[in-house]
Parts: sequence; structure tokens; C-alpha cells
Amino acid sequence: MVEPAICGMAPENEGGPVEDSCRVTFLPDNRYIVVPKGETILKAAMDADVHINASCGGAGSCGKCRVVVEEGGVEREPNPKLSQEDIAKGYALACQTRVLTDLKVTVPIESRIGDKRIFERKEPEPAHGHLLSAEDWEKRLPPWTLDPPTKKIHLVLPPPSLDDNTSDAERVKRGLAVEAGLRDVIIDYPVLQRLPNVLRQSQWDVTVTVLDSEEELRAVRVEQGDTTERQSAVAIDVGTTTISAELIDLRTGKVVARASDYNAQVAYGEDVISRIIYATKGTGLARLQSVVVGTIWNLIKSLVEKAGIEYCNITHVVVAGNTTMTHLLLGLNPKYIREEPYIPSATFFPWIKASDIGLRIAAGVYLYAIPCVASYVGGDIVAGMLASGIFNTDKLTLYIDIGTNGEMVLGNRDWMLSCSCSAGPAFEGGGVKHGMRATRGAIEQVRINPINYEPMIITVGRRKPIGICGSGLIDALSEMFLTGIINEKGKINLDLPTPRVRATEGGAEYVLVWAEDSATRRDIVITEVDIDNLMRAKAAVYAGIEILLSSVDMDVSMIDELLIAGAFGRYLEVDKAVNIGLLPDIGYDKMKFVGNGSLLGAHLAALSKEMLQRANDIARQMTYLELSTNPAFMDRYLSALFFPHTNLDAFPTVKEKLEQYRSQERTFKRAATAGGEE
Amino acid sequence: MAFSLPTETAKGRIREVEIGAGEKARKVGGENCMPFYLWEGEMPNKPLVAAEVSDEVGELPPALEKVLGDVKNDPVAWAKKAVEEWGAEAIFLTLTSTDPKGSDKSAEEAAETVMKVEEAINVPLIVYGTEDLDKDAEIARVVATKAEGKNLVIGPAKEENHKKIGAPAIGYKHVVSAMTPIDVNLAKQLNILLTNLGMEPDKLIIDPTTGALGYGLEYTYSVMERLKIAALMQDDSMTQMPLLANIGFQAWKTKEAKSSIEDYPEWGDPEKRGIIWETLTAVALMLAGANILVLRHPESIRLVKQLISDLSA
Repeated sequence: MVEPAICGMAPENEGGPVEDSCRVTFLPDNRYIVVPKGETILKAAMDADVHINASCGGAGSCGKCRVVVEEGGVEREPNPKLSQEDIAKGYALACQTRVLTDLKVTVPIESRIGDKRIFERKEPEPAHGHLLSAEDWEKRLPPWTLDPPTKKIHLVLPPPSLDDNTSDAERVKRGLAVEAGLRDVIIDYPVLQRLPNVLRQSQWDVTVTVLDSEEELRAVRVEQGDTTERQSAVAIDVGTTTISAELIDLRTGKVVARASDYNAQVAYGEDVISRIIYATKGTGLARLQSVVVGTIWNLIKSLVEKAGIEYCNITHVVVAGNTTMTHLLLGLNPKYIREEPYIPSATFFPWIKASDIGLRIAAGVYLYAIPCVASYVGGDIVAGMLASGIFNTDKLTLYIDIGTNGEMVLGNRDWMLSCSCSAGPAFEGGGVKHGMRATRGAIEQVRINPINYEPMIITVGRRKPIGICGSGLIDALSEMFLTGIINEKGKINLDLPTPRVRATEGGAEYVLVWAEDSATRRDIVITEVDIDNLMRAKAAVYAGIEILLSSVDMDVSMIDELLIAGAFGRYLEVDKAVNIGLLPDIGYDKMKFVGNGSLLGAHLAALSKEMLQRANDIARQMTYLELSTNPAFMDRYLSALFFPHTNLDAFPTVKEKLEQYRSQERTFKRAATAGGEE
Repeated sequence: MAFSLPTETAKGRIREVEIGAGEKARKVGGENCMPFYLWEGEMPNKPLVAAEVSDEVGELPPALEKVLGDVKNDPVAWAKKAVEEWGAEAIFLTLTSTDPKGSDKSAEEAAETVMKVEEAINVPLIVYGTEDLDKDAEIARVVATKAEGKNLVIGPAKEENHKKIGAPAIGYKHVVSAMTPIDVNLAKQLNILLTNLGMEPDKLIIDPTTGALGYGLEYTYSVMERLKIAALMQDDSMTQMPLLANIGFQAWKTKEAKSSIEDYPEWGDPEKRGIIWETLTAVALMLAGANILVLRHPESIRLVKQLISDLSA
């Protein structure tokens, strides 16, 4: 039983009881939220759905988020935007003020909307509640032990003599059998070459790394002295757009460093199909392989530097990627994945030497790729199935991985049915004018005021905004839709009385951040073309969900649990994803955001042979449904090309919100007209 | 034991839409059964057979030239003749002259023709532009204003210009015909957009775009049928609008309807051929659920009306 390992993989800022929590009450709305001590007032307001004008993402540079702290203790960063006089009056900048105790905060009119009327808004669905906490993770998985596929065995061997004249290799094998109970260990050829010298130089005191691949035991490295305290593994999610890696200390099972970057193959095509086409031309495959290995190498370098370890601490690598990414990484011909009847070279892959694919981390580092199911359901999904424990539950679970390909699995411990639909890179920021990954300066949360259409934004790292990441895009779409900036077709309403909507040569757009507040000194906008791309992506995912369910004669109401994985950044606000019709409207309590399921699964397999075997079992168990030949898919897709969906009745909570917004809008317009006539 | 016919009862009903005003008013839709499944429900209003009239015609197939004669260049006389002599139950006026790629006559000029035709007939009037997004919006604005209170059907409203056509129709109380390219979802989506704009659902007609026999008829058929099934069986409120099938325009442009006897002697009499082509297209779409059938030839009108009466007996 290894709890620490599970703690290590829990996503950051997870839910669960918060030790030091404070209650922040916003006036005059009289709305409150409980946040961890040290949180900024701006973030608290965002999560409480209280509108404060905020243009710079929390960097403290726009000076618009002025609030008055009425009661309670705060910690303020000094800021030139506030004069001594302001401070004396109790003014503070919401993004530069941290909550220390329970608070009462008044949002003055000028920070709010420039209008006295306050909109009633539905209670927000905070993101935190939907993240799987460390405890959740533990409950999902069956008990497992920290028993990684590679083990370091420290041996102090009796030196040979005329009486004990067995060979060096046989001596090591004997030692492994006696000391660790490992019989019939095969000694890797490079180890054999080094063996005589290392044994003698170390005076017969060595550490042997043994890889247990289930089929055989193989001594893959020999080092002088006792190095058993230094053993790490790398888990990698090889995504089409993003590659994420983590370094795990195999003694404790804890993650010691994380890193991620765009897959450099993006330059050769944004989706798997264009990569396959590139790979099948000339030396394309070798090129793509070396490019992805390059990205992985840079990530490993950064992990090793961050953690301050030696490369030779790493004894094995586990990767999880979709079928095409796995093929390209391993240098396998992906050509037939694309051609009917869509056959991959392999779905199960042997342990290989990392150096065989050009990944030269240290001597004797082996690499395992999580097996795939079919051409378009790969090891990333199998890994996600493993991490989320669907193989261990009776609940009917729908697992959705929203990346460049939207893959999903429906099932439980008895059966699993999977499919894949091409969503495109929009949710990872690709194909979106100011889209970006969830790195510093990416807008990750957005609220829009329904009266004056002014946005409130928060960025990753509270920096001046550079662009928008997936979660920010989903937030922005949801807010633009509810406030009527865009209609059900995603078309921007240019008649609105705000300079933030405007027509350009490239089509209509909404200005989320003015140039003066952005880090790029350019307006950050969301264009109709961006909205179209996001609409297509969400429609493909939702159509996939419908087809998957209907093929087993079920509907969304039968889902007990909906697990969402994907590269949205740190979290996804599920209510916003439902508002735009990306996810079915089945009640927020059934939905959990698992983060990067692929990486979590690779992590588990790197830590435990048992879990690695589970992954293999899952890959064997899963059924695959081909959508490209399914005649109903196009119809479902077209009906999903609408916010939230052509069939609004399937989205009862969104319907209710829309009615509420529209009636308030009418009330406001009437009041405004009446006021104007007075 | 007596045999009883198994029947399916619909959950929903097609909205009854009134078109035209005063004594010219007619109702379309209102049924709660699949077309002519009268043992399963009722069809209070039989499909309405409308004659197409154009304010500008180019070359016509001889079969049509022959019946039109001297009214060809006079839409008012043409409309009167269609109603009084041919028995048309509505007039579908195409404002061909407004096409910016053709004569590009002004919306005001076209609106005058509309008003004259409206005065000359005692049946409802449907007014269509030439599917030019901007021009149609302008026509809608002018015609809707001038014809206030006449409860015309104005179209075709498309997704791109639905606001500009919907707004005057709401303001001056007309019915809108919403046109989408042969797709159930798109038809439904446009209805949602128009109702969100403030259009009452019973002021809407769906024009799902028509294909003639041999030119996509089966596609149109299945889309219309699916719209009806969604409306009746699933009680889907945004598909419960009556359907308009613009048949004459499609049927008479087919090779089969307009080729001469010299070109295809083996195809027989071109006049009969054209009429059969139009009539068969109409019959098929009527059985798919069309509530308004727009035809060109008087003989087609007669045959289709005869069939409707036979099926309703």
C-alpha cells in the first residue's frame, strides 16, 4: 500500500477540506465564498461569480479592480495605482490583496459595471469541487504496491578464487538469486562487456539494475558501490500537441519534477493525419521520430535540472500516447493507420532500449509504451482508464479525453467501449488566433458582465495576459453565449453597445483585452473563426458521446460518472463546458476533472508492475467503435454545431440559465429605456 | 377475433399557421398524424396548392409558354388567372426582377408589384426574393412595411440574413419562410434563431429546399419526413412548423421537363413529360409532409388537387 505515491500524483490545488480557509463576503451582492487563506480577493470574486472589472489578468497593472475592505485582515502588495488617500479610504486592488481572515469586501460601482443595477447570477460551480482529490484517487484504485518494473539490487559478492572459479556473469547471477531471489536473470550484452572491470574496480561491491518485463528478468546496468538510494523513473504523456513529463523518485513514489512543452512535430502538421502523411514521405518517419525524441530529451533535461539529480538515476521510462504518436516515437510505420481498414503496426510494444529510438539518457535505460487498442484509441486512453480506476468500479462511467483527438470510453469493470473523433487542436489553443497553452500569461478564467460586456479575467501566474488557454476559451465562449455577445450559431452580435465587439476584414471579433493591458501590446481577441473552430471541436466530442451511448442503447441520463481528461490547463469549469454543449448536462456532481489522465496512468505503470499489467489487461479488454463509417455521426455532429445544442431540451440547466439571462436583459432594457425617457 | 389496425398516436402536432388576412386567410398545418395517415390522427388543413408567378420571366419551356400566353409579362393578370382559372389556392410571387445579377430592380419597385398582385387576388400571397442575402433583406423591409396587416409569407430567410428579414416581419406582423439547405438540424437551428429574435413560432414556415425527381428528390423526401417525425413523434417544438416545397422551379429546370421532342424523340410528348415530372415530384413531397406545394403548370395543379381530394376522401 503506497499512499505517498498517490499523493504525489494528485493534481495541484485539489479539493478536500482546506485547513486555513476564510469566508469572503462580497457587498452589495451579499454573496460569499470560502477560499484558502492567502488567496487573492480577485480570484475569490471570480469563483463567487462576483463581477469586478479586471483587465490585466491579476498582474496589478491596470488598477481597475478596486475594492473596499470593510472588515477583516488582508495582506496588500503596495501598488502605484493606489494613492495614499485611496488606501486611507480603505481601497485595495483585488488582485494584489490576499485574504488572511474572514472578510467583508465592498465592490464599488466603478469597479463593477458602471451601473447601479446588479444582475442576479446563478450560484457558481467552483472548479475545485470537481477535481479529483488525493482521497478520491485512492478510493478508485484497488490496493497496489510500489514495485516498479526496474529494481536496483545491491550485491557484495565473494571475490573469485581457485576454489570458487565461476565466471563474473555467473557470479552476479548467483548473487541476484541468493540476495534477491531473482533466478535466470539474462545479462544484457553491454552489461557483460563492462562487468569484469566494474566488479574489480568496485572490489565486488556493485549495484545491478534488473528489469522485470514479465517475460524475462534482464540485468540492464551495473554500477559501482551501492546506488540503490538513487533510482528514478520518467513518465511521459506524448500528446499530439503537448508533451508532458514527470520525474518520479522510485524510493518514495513521489513526483519530484514536472515539465511540459509543445510537441515539436506540430511544425509538421497539427493533427495525426497530417503527421502520418508526412511520415510516409521519404525520410519523414525518421524526421518525426527525431523531432519528438528531441522534445522529450529537452523535457528530461529540464526535469533532471529541476530535481538536481544525475541522469543515471533514471532506470526506466514509461510513455503513453495515442497510436500514431506511439508509432512515430518508436519509429514504426504509421501508414496503414490512415488507410481503410485502419490497421496499426502493433498495439502491444515490447520493452525497448531508450537509446534504440535515440533517447540517450544513461546506459541501460529501458522504455515501455502503454499498449493501444486500435488505430484511433491509443495508450493515452488506456493509461487514463488505468489512472481513473474505471476497471475497478461498477458505476457506468464515461471517460472523455479532450485533446487534438477527442477519445472517449464508456463502461465499467465488466466492459469498455471506446471511440475517437477528430476535435482538432482548438482546446489546446491551436487554430485559435490568440490561443496558447496553459503557461504563464494565459487567460484561464473569464467572466463577462451581462450589462456592459466588460470582461473579468485571470491569467496563469497572474501575469499580464499573452493569450488564452483551453479553459479560458471555454469560459469565454460560455460567457459570450449567455450574455448574448454570440448567438447559438456562434455569430457575434455587432449591434451591441460596446466597442469590444467590432467588424474587421477577417470577420467579427470580441476584444477580451485591450492592447494597453496585454503583455503583447496587441488587443487579445476572440474571432468568429476561433469560435467556429471551437464549435466544431465541441460538436465532434458531443456527437461522439451520443453515438457511443446510442450504440449500446443508452442515453446520457444513465451515466453515473463523467470523467474529463485533457490539456485544459489546470482545471476546467464543468458548468461552462456544459453551457457550450461540450459536455452533457447530467448534473455537476457526477462530473470530475481528472487532468492529464494519460500522464497519471504512465506514472502508475512506472511505479508498479501490477499496474502495468492492468494497463495491458485494459487494452485487451476494450472494444473499439469506428465512427468514420458510422452514418449517424454526421447528423449528430450537425445538431451539435449550435450552442449549446440544436436539441435545447437535452440541456435543461442551460435552458434555465438562458431564460434567466434573457428575462433580466429585457428587464434591464425596459428599465434603461424608462430611465432614458424620464 | 376482429382484426384491429395497429396505430401510432403522435405526441405532437404541427402548428397551424394562418397566412393571408381577412377573407383571404387560409390555414396550413395543424395535423397530428403523418401525411394522410387519417386513421391515426387528423389533418384539419389539406396541403395548400400554390401557383408560382414571377415578375420577370426569361425563356420558358414551351409547355409553360403555351399556358401562360399573354399573362407571361403581367404578374397581376397571371396571378388572377392562376387563382380564377387554374384553381390555385395561394400565389407564390418570385421577385426575379430584383436579382442584382440580373435586372436589379429596386425593392420599392418590386413592392409595388407585390401590392398590386395582393389586391388582385383573394388567396394568400407568398413573396420570395432571389436568394441574394442583402437584396432579400431590403425587399423584406420594404414589402413588410408596405403590406402591413396583409399577413404575407416573406422569404426566403436564411441563417445569414434571418435578423434582417425576421425583424420587419415581427414589426409588421408577417409570416417568415425560413430556408435551409436540406438538413433537419439546420432547419431547426434557423427556427431557434428566429424565435430567439422574437418571432412567434406560429409565424414560421420551413422551406427545407427542394430537389426535383431525379435531382435529389429522395434526399428532400427523407429530410421532410424526418422533420415530420421529430415534430409529431418526439414533440420537438422547433420542427413543428408547416413545410413549404418549391417544386415548379426545380421540376421545370430538369432536362427531362424542358428538352424538346427533337432532342429526345424516345421520351415522348414534352408537354406531358414536364407536367408528369412536376406532378410526380409534388406527389412525393406531399406524401413526405409538405404543407404548401408551389407549382407552375395548371395541369399539375389540377392533378395534385385531385389527388389530395382523393386521398382525403
